[in-house]
Amino acid sequence: MVAIEVPEVNYTEYSNRQLVAVPLAVLVLALAIIGGWYLVTGAPANLGLEFTGGVELRIADDGGDVEQQIETAFERQPDSVRSIPADDVYVVTFRAADEDPGGLADDLSAQADEAGLSTSAIDQVSPSFASDTARTAVFGVALAFLGMSVLVFALFRTFVPSLAVVASAFSDLMVPIAVMNLLGIQMTLGTIAALLMIIGYSVDSDILLNNSVLRRTGDFYESVNRAMRTGVTMTLTSMAAMIVMAVVAALFGVDLLRNIGIILSVGLCADLMNTYLLNVSLLRWYKFEGVKQ
Amino acid sequence: MLEPIKNNWQILLLVVVVLGATVALFAPQFGPQTAPGENVSEAQQGITNLQYGLDLAGGTRVRAPLVGYTATEVDFGGDQPDDVARAIADELENASASDITAVPAESAVDVTETSVTEAQFRAAMDASGYAYEDVRSGVTQETRDVAQRVIEDKIDETGLSGGTVQQVQSLTGEYFILVEVPGENRSSVTSLLEERGTVQIDIAYPTENGTAVEEEVLTQDDFAELGSAAQNDRGTGAYVPVTVRNTAPEGEQSPAHSFQQAVADRGFAAAYNSNQDRCDYSENPDDVSNPCLLLTVDGEVVNSFGMDPDLADSMASGSWATDGGFRLTTGEFSEAERIAINLRAGALPADLDISGQGTSRSISAAQGENYKNYSLVTGILAVFAVAGMVFLRYREPAVALPMIVTALAEVYALLGFAALLSYPVELAVIAGFIAVVGTGVDDLVIIADEVMSEGEVNSRKVFDSRFRRAFWVIGAAAATTIIAMSPLMVLSLGDLSGFAIFTILGVLIGVLITRPAYGDILRRLLTVR
Repeated sequence: MVAIEVPEVNYTEYSNRQLVAVPLAVLVLALAIIGGWYLVTGAPANLGLEFTGGVELRIADDGGDVEQQIETAFERQPDSVRSIPADDVYVVTFRAADEDPGGLADDLSAQADEAGLSTSAIDQVSPSFASDTARTAVFGVALAFLGMSVLVFALFRTFVPSLAVVASAFSDLMVPIAVMNLLGIQMTLGTIAALLMIIGYSVDSDILLNNSVLRRTGDFYESVNRAMRTGVTMTLTSMAAMIVMAVVAALFGVDLLRNIGIILSVGLCADLMNTYLLNVSLLRWYKFEGVKQ
Repeated sequence: MLEPIKNNWQILLLVVVVLGATVALFAPQFGPQTAPGENVSEAQQGITNLQYGLDLAGGTRVRAPLVGYTATEVDFGGDQPDDVARAIADELENASASDITAVPAESAVDVTETSVTEAQFRAAMDASGYAYEDVRSGVTQETRDVAQRVIEDKIDETGLSGGTVQQVQSLTGEYFILVEVPGENRSSVTSLLEERGTVQIDIAYPTENGTAVEEEVLTQDDFAELGSAAQNDRGTGAYVPVTVRNTAPEGEQSPAHSFQQAVADRGFAAAYNSNQDRCDYSENPDDVSNPCLLLTVDGEVVNSFGMDPDLADSMASGSWATDGGFRLTTGEFSEAERIAINLRAGALPADLDISGQGTSRSISAAQGENYKNYSLVTGILAVFAVAGMVFLRYREPAVALPMIVTALAEVYALLGFAALLSYPVELAVIAGFIAVVGTGVDDLVIIADEVMSEGEVNSRKVFDSRFRRAFWVIGAAAATTIIAMSPLMVLSLGDLSGFAIFTILGVLIGVLITRPAYGDILRRLLTVR
């Protein structure tokens, strides 16, 4: 039978510099991707309907050549047409027209009706509302991150270990955003929820590690390995749940659940790396060199 | 005798919570609120008391601001609200007094005519001489409240159950009206919001053969101004001020003059001589003793009024039409509010800007049903994934099985909460449930590893000290999750508040109830006696 055994890593073989190099390189790469995205597209990520405004229709695929019909039904060219076979549905997205986005929703649904397409859902978001939502979302994530940082500093009351937690949480946020850009996943309210969830989830293993090293007696490496056994199990379990959720929801076309699943899977992956490379090396530096000063 | 209870209170508490959740989910007493004429089993969706939100039940949600500008901190200088409104309207070419609402309680004045620009409104405010602090976009609280009530009325009238109307505020302080109607598609909801009924005033008067009615003495277009309900300044009672238009095309009689004529003809002046004389239409509509004014909406009489002797006299003498104003008075303020809404006949006091700044979401019932099934499947599979991982890691059913049972109990308790609060379950809430399973199991892993580390558990004391150590980490982790999620609870980011609320609730239930219980179960299974 297959069993999951968390391998013991022999940290003594690597210097702090070596350990930090990988997560830092990944973080820099992620930031470069996000920055590049911002320079090229004017936004740090692919913004979804909720942040740009526009109209999304779900059109039932009741046999026949619906895709063909969709091509000809609308006066405007759809910005994207996605097929979700499991749900027999096509998702057709129109970016906001600056002139009259609300009229657009009415027009489009009328045009769909005329073409004999049956619409099972319509989402309409006006551009001004969308930019408001974007601002609120950024504010929310920033506030959550700040709150988390303050709480972590209050819990450990030492600078370097707390900083290590906050730094890896920051990287845990940036890496999924960069991956989203590369995979072409749009930033939606669901992904914002997922990012906030990462803030909550990812610090768990960091707190566990810090607690094990700082508040418990015993050798540094022993403490790290003990925390790692528990922490890796935790992260892998959550990841399993999220990957399953992402896959199943993607099949069924439940976008909200799919996006949350994907982002959390990537974020938890990044967290494994950040906790056991970045955080460990910062802790080791603190334990063996930082304290002496 | 109390000893066993004391020793096992954590497990007992979990059992109580699970039982409580069962009651909340299945007992008919906790069933959803029923619409008039509907019984509990009809209001129930499925076998549980759970309420499903838009995503899972189908329906339409529209969220849009009311259009207008509001001058804040206006100094009314003791003037009556109607006078203030008229004075400001006089300075605006494209608005009449009915487009302007002056609200002394808020020290605010708003204009709801869409063609009035901010600059024009500022200029009119300056010209009118009333001091004010600033002009912002949006309307007054008063206008929003009226709009909300009008929409609620409309939804009630159509007999749709479960429709809700709320006011929500965005981060930037802008107010939105949020309308949710289950089971209706987008076009029927927008047309419901836009349509208006016909309102008219008829006169009922006594004849030898009982009551006769002269219809349409005033119709919708004849009103220059429909005020909002106001408290009587002297004594008790409340009223709604209205003004009848005294302008007409060349060669025609103005509505105010024809109304005055009709009132005089039906003998109001003769019938109403003191405050003792009143309209008895509501008691015996077929045989009134005095003439009455009837407020009719869509062909149905909704209110009836007598007339003040002075007013009747001024109409009989022909002096009233120049001013054209009268008050529909009533005993109760709430009744006056109702009259004001009836007069509007479903017209909103300000335009709801669905197309420009609004959002709408509409899901068909079939799609909702699909989402419900899909998310159920997704949730179950996610739980299986977690269970699989836990078994693979521990390979000891004594540790893994209680872990999974505890995590499921947590979700069950959350469902109970949702039923108890009648909180509509949406996709986002289900995502919250799955997140809770994830964090829940994480914490149970921490407990199990901590308790089983460093050799056998050979006494309760050893167990307790290890459990407490594990609990510090769990508490810290729970606190960070709660902090991270709390902004979502209050920020207006659509469905996500549901996600946040249930994640936080789940974490709380976990830390306070299920995790101590798991510790207790583990202690019994592991302690070497």
